[in-house]
Amino acid sequence: MSAPADSTAGLAIEVRGLVRSFGDRRAVDGLDLEVRRGESLGLLGPNGAGKTTTIRILSTLARPTAGHVRVLGLDPEREPAELRRRIGVVPQELALYDDLTARENLAFFARAHGLDGARRTERVDWALELARLADRASDRVNSFSGGMKRRLNLVVALLHEPELVFLDEPTVGIDPQSRNHVFEMVERLVAGGTTIVYTTHQLGEVERLCARIVVLDRGRKLAEGALRDLQRLASDRRTHALRLDAGSDAEVARALLAERGIAARVEEEFPSLEEVFLGLTGRALRDDEG
Amino acid sequence: MIALAWTFARKDLTLYLRDRTALALSILLPLFLAGIFGAAMGSFGGKNTIGKVRILVEDLDGTPRSKELVQLLTATEGLRVQVETDVRKRVANGKAPAALVVPSGYGADLDAGRGMRLKLYRDPAQEIEQQIIAGNLLPVLFRAGGSKLSRDVVKRGMSELGLSVDAIPGFDAAFDSTWELMQGLAETAQSNGGSVEATGSTTAAKEDASADPDFLTRLPNFLGLEVEDVAGGEDQDNRRAGKSHAVSGIGVMMLLFGLVAAGGSILEERAQGTLTRLLLTPASSASVLLGKFLFTFLSGMLQLVILFAFGTLVFDVPVWRDPLAVLVVSASVCAAATSLGLFLAVSCNSRKQLEGLSTLIILVMSALGGSWFPLAITPEWYRTLGHFTLNAWAMDAYQGLFWYQKGLGGVWLEVLVLLAIAGTMAALAARGWHRRFATNA
Repeated sequence: MSAPADSTAGLAIEVRGLVRSFGDRRAVDGLDLEVRRGESLGLLGPNGAGKTTTIRILSTLARPTAGHVRVLGLDPEREPAELRRRIGVVPQELALYDDLTARENLAFFARAHGLDGARRTERVDWALELARLADRASDRVNSFSGGMKRRLNLVVALLHEPELVFLDEPTVGIDPQSRNHVFEMVERLVAGGTTIVYTTHQLGEVERLCARIVVLDRGRKLAEGALRDLQRLASDRRTHALRLDAGSDAEVARALLAERGIAARVEEEFPSLEEVFLGLTGRALRDDEG
Repeated sequence: MIALAWTFARKDLTLYLRDRTALALSILLPLFLAGIFGAAMGSFGGKNTIGKVRILVEDLDGTPRSKELVQLLTATEGLRVQVETDVRKRVANGKAPAALVVPSGYGADLDAGRGMRLKLYRDPAQEIEQQIIAGNLLPVLFRAGGSKLSRDVVKRGMSELGLSVDAIPGFDAAFDSTWELMQGLAETAQSNGGSVEATGSTTAAKEDASADPDFLTRLPNFLGLEVEDVAGGEDQDNRRAGKSHAVSGIGVMMLLFGLVAAGGSILEERAQGTLTRLLLTPASSASVLLGKFLFTFLSGMLQLVILFAFGTLVFDVPVWRDPLAVLVVSASVCAAATSLGLFLAVSCNSRKQLEGLSTLIILVMSALGGSWFPLAITPEWYRTLGHFTLNAWAMDAYQGLFWYQKGLGGVWLEVLVLLAIAGTMAALAARGWHRRFATNA
């Protein structure tokens, strides 16, 4: 990932007092936000929290009503074209041309991003491999399963090697295998040093993918920090779990604790439904069954 | 079961009543179109208002006799007389359905009892107008010539055939009686076909024409009226005029539908998110709009090429007589229609809204602009109103090329107006695009 020398260090996103109003309603209300380069940030919040509006402003699609915004050292309002060369946005909707093939979609968006000749071919092939769609490259998108479309939707945003990627609920409506593959793709990006801003309602996804989390509601920031930091905010509801090795007698353990005056109860812990599902069906992608 | 069926029907009724587009299309559009048709056929408001048929008159004589003829023509109910010069060219170019030339010496001939020598130039494509002109012109000529003159002309003609009518007893009395009868017939023709009796009378005039297809070219020879068809090229087949009108009229209307649908791909892309994705590329939003314009324009040109090829093969419409002129006119029409399509697209919020609005606008424009029937059969005010639509200018341009066989120089005004429409609509479309669709909104 190449970047100008003056913006290679420090913050990828710097927001101070961001406001965006629609009439009397404030969708974003005095938001402060910092994201370091290479960091993966989870943006959490209920519907109407201001997540999408914030991302639209940061990605040049909307103007702020007030506030200071810098993304990769650039002003999205004044330098949109330059910024768009360096960011990628994975929209929540499947923004693809159904009647074009996977390769045609990728080639078109690559061209729109200014990639030409061998470089374009190379990036398209790379994206098809990353999405595990190389063997379906010549098929029209309207023949794809929801999972295949999601993966293609994601890699379109990566064609031009963006330094910063916004992902807006990128796993909506897909099976656990494809979701798992999307997670792996995001993890590869993070490992490669790409800055990630990830919005979702699925808290488990943020736990897995994001080093830091910002919780928004009604356009304001409610909390911010690493997962453990946020968990400490609810420390009064903290409990401890004592895990026993396989074959140990839980009732004996509870009796021993009781002898020492420690109150405990035995609860069986089962794997999550997703773990059961993946255990039964495997983790391999099921594109042919789409 | 009936109760359940009524529940389902009530649900559909509720949805229908809440769908303003469907309501407008199903209720307002038929009323509006019925109103337009009624107005075009001259019965709007219950009045006979089809209007007078224009006839050009070139008076090369300038004597009291010729002025009297012009006055008689002006006094007819069905004709609107315009005294002009160079009238043959104007009829040949479709500017008027017919022109009467009163040659120098007309008055002297009449005074000397030599009869009339008049020339009538016609555009055979404007068939209904010819019948109305005939119905009004012949009584005028009878009046202008008078019974004595007519009797002398007949006598002279029969003498040339070796028949001396002077030897026939009571010939003058018989002729005068016949003269009165013919005047009566002419007045009847005037009241049936020549007057402005709206739809019914127009149809009657047309039926008369089918019974006697060239009433005007036989009877007038008796009065010294020479008729010449000057529009429509070599064969002057007025059926070809109808075909060329049909090809260009339907072509322009379907082009509008096609181009609005193509322009609507902006709304489709917005709904499916690809437009946002395009706006997130470094390309300027203007280039995205220009791309839409190019696509819509080219699809329109392709549509016209296919239609004109069909018109040439099936209807023998001389589309390719002047390929450059057809190309320039078609490009102008496509540019205007494309810009209108894009303007409508960026003015709507959804594809459904666009379909409703565009159907309404295109059908009304097609009816007003002469895509369905020639504007020549409509009242003057209707023709003026029609020229606020691009259809009318496109139709004028294509009819100019296909029927009147003008070159590009003959349709430059139409091309200029179409380009002005294109420019205005494109500017409005760009404004709407930047306000409602483009990035940083």
